[in-house]
Amino acid sequence: MVQSKRQKQLFLLFCLLPTFIVFAIFTVYPLLNGLYLSFFEWSGMSGNQKFIGLENYKQLFSDSIIPKTIWHDYFLVITKVIGIMILATFFAVALTQLKIKEAPFYRIVFFFPNIMSVVIIGILWQFIYNPNLGIINSGLTLIGLEEWARPWLGSLTWALPSLVLPSVWAGIGLFMLMLMGGIMNVPKNLYEAADIDGANEWQQFWKVTVPLVWPQIKTSILYIVITTLNGSFIIVQVMTGGGPNNATQVMGSYLYQQAFKQYNFGYGATIGVMILILSLLTVLILQYFLKREKVEY
Amino acid sequence: MGKVNRKWFMSILAILFIMSLLVGCSSDSSDEGQGNETEENTGETDEGTGDAEKDTEGSISGELEIQYFVGGYGDAWWKEVIDGFTSKYPDVQIKEQAGPNINEEMKTRWISGNPPDVVYIDGAGSSETQMVEDGQLMDLSDWVESVELPDGTPLADSFIVPPSKFDDGNLYSLPLVFDTWGTWYDKAWFESEGFEAPKDFESWMSSMKEIKNNTDVTPFVTTGQYPYYFSRGVLYPAFAAAGGEELLSSVIKGDEGAWSSDAVLDVMTKVQTMQEEGLIDPGFGALNHTQSQMNFILGKNAYIPVGFWLPNEMANDVPDDFQFGFVPSPMNDAGEPMAIVPDLRPLAIAKEAKNPEAAKAFIEFAFQKKYASKFAELTGAMMNMKGVDLDSNENVPVYLKDANKMINSDQVKIYQKPYPMSADLETPLGNALVSLMLGEMDAEEFTETMEAAAEEYRNNK
Repeated sequence: MVQSKRQKQLFLLFCLLPTFIVFAIFTVYPLLNGLYLSFFEWSGMSGNQKFIGLENYKQLFSDSIIPKTIWHDYFLVITKVIGIMILATFFAVALTQLKIKEAPFYRIVFFFPNIMSVVIIGILWQFIYNPNLGIINSGLTLIGLEEWARPWLGSLTWALPSLVLPSVWAGIGLFMLMLMGGIMNVPKNLYEAADIDGANEWQQFWKVTVPLVWPQIKTSILYIVITTLNGSFIIVQVMTGGGPNNATQVMGSYLYQQAFKQYNFGYGATIGVMILILSLLTVLILQYFLKREKVEY
Repeated sequence: MGKVNRKWFMSILAILFIMSLLVGCSSDSSDEGQGNETEENTGETDEGTGDAEKDTEGSISGELEIQYFVGGYGDAWWKEVIDGFTSKYPDVQIKEQAGPNINEEMKTRWISGNPPDVVYIDGAGSSETQMVEDGQLMDLSDWVESVELPDGTPLADSFIVPPSKFDDGNLYSLPLVFDTWGTWYDKAWFESEGFEAPKDFESWMSSMKEIKNNTDVTPFVTTGQYPYYFSRGVLYPAFAAAGGEELLSSVIKGDEGAWSSDAVLDVMTKVQTMQEEGLIDPGFGALNHTQSQMNFILGKNAYIPVGFWLPNEMANDVPDDFQFGFVPSPMNDAGEPMAIVPDLRPLAIAKEAKNPEAAKAFIEFAFQKKYASKFAELTGAMMNMKGVDLDSNENVPVYLKDANKMINSDQVKIYQKPYPMSADLETPLGNALVSLMLGEMDAEEFTETMEAAAEEYRNNK
């Protein structure tokens, strides 16, 4: 039976309408309301809202902590992209190309952190970094590197780099699976042909594997960037609360602090607008740089 | 045909989009409407207040909504008071809004102008200062003068620390819980090792050095994630001991020149010395309050500044041979009395309370000596009332009796702060403190940083 056009459109409407309504209520409205609130002085505790125009934005530009939070966020973005992509690619290639017998086991092990909540990961690593009881400092002492032991999360210099390790550890699994999917779709005969032409494994990786899994690599990088800019807040909040002395403060945690701890909700909304603009810009710039002709052999 | 239909489809989408925005906006405007209504309501109830004051107790009835935070002290005391209240006033139906997250849960009610009647202001997400600044609390100045305890003494004369007036000269809350910050040590361990509890900064330093030299314990720990434990527990008493309530008040208000004064510099130099002598646990910056308290309980550190709730909070983790010892943080010079700056947790009535008469009756009912001694039994802390006999009460823990004796002796002087420090000043203070205590900043840089932070705070107020 052939559906009439009208039926088809009704069906489309039926599919799209609920999503659209939910999207409008839970995404578009909060977004616009956040923008609206950024022009107000509001404690977030009472009904008193005072329109102050661009005052919050002026404060944003003169706030000495803001540049630090931006830098900390991009530090995490850069180190996470590099760390996760290198390790995820390495494991993906190792588990698909090297014909390891225990590959399924490792796949589960590496994916395991992804099914854990970030909060749990944060608490877990807090114990690992604990200056007195933690495994890192005890381990260093055990192998005679006592002078390397330090209060990782409590040091102004080491706190931020210390957050990279758990973030990378938590991120590898998912991207490893994505890349493995890509690699397994590369036709075997391409490698055979490359072999016959005398390409070594390294050359095969760069000339065959990377170009053919580029779409997956690109998606992975974009995904890491976006989730870091929006989500680095969680690990910071759990592990250091932005401290010591703002050494790990990221944009999201600073927003939380201003809006919910210092009762400057309007200013918090302004920081939210800044995060949105920076994330959009970053993604647009990345899209441009990661553009590459689609390769098919 | 297809084109027409697509247009039709798109225009429906567009209409829906606009409608959803309108729905968003209209919810705003209905909020405003509610605000207006309740304002009118308060007008009425205010008039009602005048009438009711002439009436007797019998007229108190209706629903009474009470919001109270449940933290380290539990809710046993509240249940007791509420039971007592309902048997005295059977016509009042009490609705409890309680829990560890109650401040967050009730936030929308306060925002929409539909608050509970009575509120106990304590715990995360609550700020008395902010509530007063937002005009959410009822002015109690006149009413308090008229309240008497069952034995006839005026309530206003029965507080250990009387309620303080806000900058506008009004009184918005009555301090219920007398929380005191101070420094804790393991009394049993001190006795077995022959260490003595300090009485002033000098003896504290020599005690910490002795501990550092003779044991593998790092003398002092605090939480670096919540640096206000140190500022409220150690700095406030230090400022009070050095410059009295005048200095304490100017520092909390961020007055010009307060943070860069010599008295503050002296205090901060003491902190710097503690750091330089290696007496502060170098890992403190990473610790949250539970971790730092765990370190203390496990004997990794000897001194920790926390409030009265520490024994209750850690009750499940305390080793058998551990005994809590409490001293007011000994930042005073030799020969001077030790200083205590209580952190008072107040009871207040919402400005837009629907049943202000019952709310007042409840507050009057809660401030009784029998409930004050119940409070000591059930929470291990003190209610803010004078003349309560704790010594002869077997159910009151020893450390509390000791502390109570100490507080009432000549060795200790109680100083009052004007109001809790605003988060906008306390946050930069905490940040600078962590840097100072990590040795990344010296006392002079600290005072400069804080003077600048205070100026910014004043400008944005």
